[in-house]
Amino acid sequence: MSSGGSDLDKAIAQLRACRPIPENQVREVCYKARELLIEEGNVVTVDAPVTICGDIHGQFHDLMELFRVGGDVPDTNYLFMGDFVDRGFYSLESFLLLLCLKVRYPDRITLIRGNHESRQITTVYGFYDECLRKYGSANVWRHCCEVFDYLALGALVIGASTTLTPTDGPPAPTNTTQLAPLDSEIEIETLNAANEIMYRYARDSSQASNSQQPSTQSPSASSPTIPTPSNIGPAGTSATSSSSGSPGTPGGAILCVHGGLSPLIDTIDKIRLLDRKQEVPHEGAMCDLLWSDPDEIDGWGLSPRGAGFLFGADIVKCFNYKNDLSLIARAHQLVMEGFKEMFESSIVTVWSAPNYCYRCGNVAAILELEEDGSNAGFVRRSNGERGAGAGGWILGSNVGPNTSNRHSSPGAGNGNGNGNANRLGALTDSVPQRRRDGPGRRYRVFEAAPQDSRGMPAKKPVADYFL
Amino acid sequence: MALVSAPANDRKRVKVYELKNNDWFDRGTGFCKGIVVNQEEAKILVASEDDPTRQLLETKISKDDGYQKQQDTLIVWTEQNGTDMALSFQEPEGCAGIWDFVNEVQSRLQALAQDDGLSDDIGDNVSPIILPLPDLSNLPEIENHMRAANSTPGGREALTKFILAQDYIPKLLPLVDMAEDLESASDLHRLCSIMKMLILLNDTAIIEYVVTDEVILGVVGALEYDPDFPLHKANHRQYLSDESKFKEVVKIEDQSIRKRIHYTYRLQYLKDVVLARILDDPTFGVLNSLIYFHQVDIVQHLQANAAFLKELFGIFSPKEPNLQRKKDAVLFIQQCCAIAKSLQANARAQLYQNFINNGLLDVIHYALKHQDASVRVAGTDILVALIDHDALMVRSYIFKAIQEKSKPLTDTLIELLLIEVDLGVKAQMADAIKILLDPNANSASIEALGRTNNDFLAKVRGSLPSMPQTDSFIQNFYDESARKLFQPLKDLEGRPSMNDLSIQEVSLFSHLVEVLCFFIRQHSYRSKYFILSENLAARVAQLMECPEKHLKLTALKYFRTCIGLHDEFHNRQITQHNLFEPILKILFDTMPRDNLLNSACLELFEFIRRENIKPIVTHLVQNYREKLQAIIYVDTFQTLILRYDQMHEPPTTQELENSFTSVESDTPARNGGIVNGGKWGQGLKEADAEEEAYFNGSDDEDDGLPNAVKPVLNGTSPARPLVNYPDEDGDDDMDILATSAPSISPQTMSTATQTQETPTTSPTSKVNALIPPERISEKRRREDDEEDELLANLSNSGTKRRASTSSNANSGSLRGLRRKNSIASTKDGGGGPKKISLSIPLKSGGEGGEDD
Repeated sequence: MSSGGSDLDKAIAQLRACRPIPENQVREVCYKARELLIEEGNVVTVDAPVTICGDIHGQFHDLMELFRVGGDVPDTNYLFMGDFVDRGFYSLESFLLLLCLKVRYPDRITLIRGNHESRQITTVYGFYDECLRKYGSANVWRHCCEVFDYLALGALVIGASTTLTPTDGPPAPTNTTQLAPLDSEIEIETLNAANEIMYRYARDSSQASNSQQPSTQSPSASSPTIPTPSNIGPAGTSATSSSSGSPGTPGGAILCVHGGLSPLIDTIDKIRLLDRKQEVPHEGAMCDLLWSDPDEIDGWGLSPRGAGFLFGADIVKCFNYKNDLSLIARAHQLVMEGFKEMFESSIVTVWSAPNYCYRCGNVAAILELEEDGSNAGFVRRSNGERGAGAGGWILGSNVGPNTSNRHSSPGAGNGNGNGNANRLGALTDSVPQRRRDGPGRRYRVFEAAPQDSRGMPAKKPVADYFL
Repeated sequence: MALVSAPANDRKRVKVYELKNNDWFDRGTGFCKGIVVNQEEAKILVASEDDPTRQLLETKISKDDGYQKQQDTLIVWTEQNGTDMALSFQEPEGCAGIWDFVNEVQSRLQALAQDDGLSDDIGDNVSPIILPLPDLSNLPEIENHMRAANSTPGGREALTKFILAQDYIPKLLPLVDMAEDLESASDLHRLCSIMKMLILLNDTAIIEYVVTDEVILGVVGALEYDPDFPLHKANHRQYLSDESKFKEVVKIEDQSIRKRIHYTYRLQYLKDVVLARILDDPTFGVLNSLIYFHQVDIVQHLQANAAFLKELFGIFSPKEPNLQRKKDAVLFIQQCCAIAKSLQANARAQLYQNFINNGLLDVIHYALKHQDASVRVAGTDILVALIDHDALMVRSYIFKAIQEKSKPLTDTLIELLLIEVDLGVKAQMADAIKILLDPNANSASIEALGRTNNDFLAKVRGSLPSMPQTDSFIQNFYDESARKLFQPLKDLEGRPSMNDLSIQEVSLFSHLVEVLCFFIRQHSYRSKYFILSENLAARVAQLMECPEKHLKLTALKYFRTCIGLHDEFHNRQITQHNLFEPILKILFDTMPRDNLLNSACLELFEFIRRENIKPIVTHLVQNYREKLQAIIYVDTFQTLILRYDQMHEPPTTQELENSFTSVESDTPARNGGIVNGGKWGQGLKEADAEEEAYFNGSDDEDDGLPNAVKPVLNGTSPARPLVNYPDEDGDDDMDILATSAPSISPQTMSTATQTQETPTTSPTSKVNALIPPERISEKRRREDDEEDELLANLSNSGTKRRASTSSNANSGSLRGLRRKNSIASTKDGGGGPKKISLSIPLKSGGEGGEDD
């Protein structure tokens, strides 16, 4: 397969038809993906606009439905929060398609690791058996597991707007509540797969006014500008296609992880100090990020899963405050409605496998974040960027624009000589109690792919048998 | 009870099984009889075969349902105390006798209970269901009847009884053909729904019946018309009637075994294809256990059949001209070995012994050298299975080969690893070498062997040459083979450039370095001297100059592993040869970029800083002070320098401690403790002062922060393991970071432990809060038979090293056995009952059990 060329496109076409590609191609794609992923930080920085997706679990046809509803790659930027494999019958096709797309459009698609991207879990929950069946040996499984070890542990979405450009679709027939007027600041919009509006909420005005910070405060001179990806909305939405029309102000960043928080991680910078290239351990920070769940408790609790922890609203709020986040997006738990916001919208669960396991009867959702028009003040980098050029992520720079150390650019040799100590101090200064406005959130809810679009889902039968 | 007579107690030979940790544990073989104690009590007794005075089993027959007869020779039930038991009879007649006895006793006991008027389970006595003789006109009626009955447990039971008693299924099947002839889609859809319901009744007898030759095609024929996919028709009949899929390498004469092979295949097809989408957990479990028991019977039969084995292994003699047949025979043996993994330890030992006596090792040699990569894969699979089963035995064969001056298996493996071109096989070879040399390999299976049958073990072992100790085996490896294995690494010496490594070389070097990492953890002192004498550390360091970043990363991991061992020897080797030079180069090349290589470097230096590994700190600062000083995007390096300065100054500079992790780790026992207890609190208070201000402002419960935190932190210190287990390097490290969690909010931390202990911030509760996963999982494993992630996660930990060789499929499946009546368990999933006795409210969002 020559680099990025037509062979890769052929492989993508073949996978889109739900047909596995030959073993040697899998190996090549995995090697290429490895080269890309090794350049990514443990927490990848992603620019809005981006569409955030939760668990896929080998439900290939539903993944295609997701692309239909959310827009195709590379027109829409995607961030998948792990659990690509296991349970469903097409883990291999689903994961390889995503991986090929990653190799083909590295800046358009971000993949982070879920708890199922692990040797141990896949041997029990189906991916291993699937590879064995489809290829007759475990080689493909080995290649994929090698890639799993390189996947980032989280992502940080920056530059998301706090308000949405309203979709001009019709209200859904099921909608019974009054939609927020179009001239208000739209915080949440929920659309169904037919692009009809199910709900639309305006931002609470008192809170909103509180948050209108002038974005000029940020030292825009220090941010290297790279071309903003053109903002093309998902298929069927004309509304999101204007690239700088949205009037929003920058909110805090959005942290995306598969599971949740860890008692061992109080700042995002600490995630950066992990050596992630390993099998998901049974305990420790890396394990927690992939296994934990939010819960209605105070503080930390034991997780009934046997790995990771439960964490309560106080933990989330504290973490978001400290890291200047406006939202944590995570997956990992089935929610019947496809998404679920908790703790005053400080954390959201996004679940993207409709009718999970082909029988749970749930709907799925994806979360769209729009780009903030002002685009100011953030240090950007693109995934897979190489060389020693400018624009690399600087530790500590994820501290958003509104904390006091914004006055001096981090790590830029500001007299003090110790940017981090300075930052710590800045963080804990008597900053007024204010919660960051969450980003404007557009949820697209969709159901399982229509039956006609696929055959009956089934595992591949054993080809030959001796016993 | 007077009416129940004890069954004719001729000697019914049985094996008694008990389910332990999801494995059927063999309690021994003996003779079974049923006895009537009095009117209200009857028992099943099994007296040991070897020692008739010893009772292997004495169980009171309970009136409640819960006994299941599976196939012709198996009775499974759950004891009052919750233990799952099984009796596997030698003869179907024996089984039938005991089964009738149990049934009779149960019906008597139930009648008695009714007489007492105490019974509250009226539901058990449902009125029988009668369905009309099926024809196309009354299918809707039948479907509705069934659906109604299906909704209650009693109804399901009655329905099952009716279906079996009336031979109802064969009466349904002709309708499929009729409806097809009439092209009546609605009738076909109804027949499919009816058939699905019948199978999902989850009755073993029904499921066993539908895969028999007479009805299988009719049954899957009906299932081809799934109303959920109205526009599709599956082609199950075509697939299953294609006999060419059955490969018979050696003719199997025994008809019943042949039948079982086909049944197994059909059951698998039902499970994977026909029902894949709709299977609920109990039915999935029943299918799996049926498959398992069939496979056990098949393999047991074949391995004990001398004529069969002779012919099978005879295929590999030079006289056999058919190469395809040889290939098939390897694949056949591979499949046998795969199934053998789930056999009881001594049955498995017997199988391997019989295979080996017939020439299994030659087959492995043959397969490993085969030109077809798939055969090499199969050969390695067999070998790995064999080593997994009994590494000692394999090693003793290798010893024997060495004594006989023939080429030992180790050397074959090494040669193959070095020249193998298929990268997948290469990885497998590397794995095989690791397990072969793993001193802890399969102590578990040896234990199991010893427990179940010492005599047998002795017999097997007796036929071997004297048992060499693992130790001397490894010694021999270092004397004879290690040099060959690592020769390519050694040859790097003097290589001018690393820029021209071929793909094969890159792959080989990553495997070799990984194997080396494994060796330094597993054979500490032997590997040490070997690495020293070959100067391998310098060669690994050389690999960091290559352009392939993943290989750099692998090489870096080697040094991280060495340093993680806290071994002065390794540390000295690294410092003496200035091997930090290339590591720092990687760091400088990547910083301040945020990528995997950079993180891995930072993690290494963070570890050195946190563990305060003095010789390394000294080495680094003395040689690279200025370089390190320039790295300010993290404070790791400033702190390293500070550490050094502290070491060389009076210890009054402690107050300078102010790292960004807030809290320093120390390992007093190991590092001679420049850090005293007082410093813990001190360092913490300083770092946290501002944060504290914030929290005090926001939350008035924080009053006692400094007092509350200090003991907590001190409590953590002794909890740190004195020995740093290499596998958990990363995790261990994180414990330290954990100590900053209380500083976020100490009172919340303590709530984590509420479920187990009173909410205090005492050191013990803190420790518990950090170690909960195992604890909970153990509890769950005992209490809860739900299939769940954490089982997979934790029960597999033994095979962490190479998950590819392990599969829990069978143990998982057996859990299904005891869930016959828990139909509801799909619905209530993990969030459901008896999940875990936590006081924390469980998930409100969605079904916990389906969580992922």
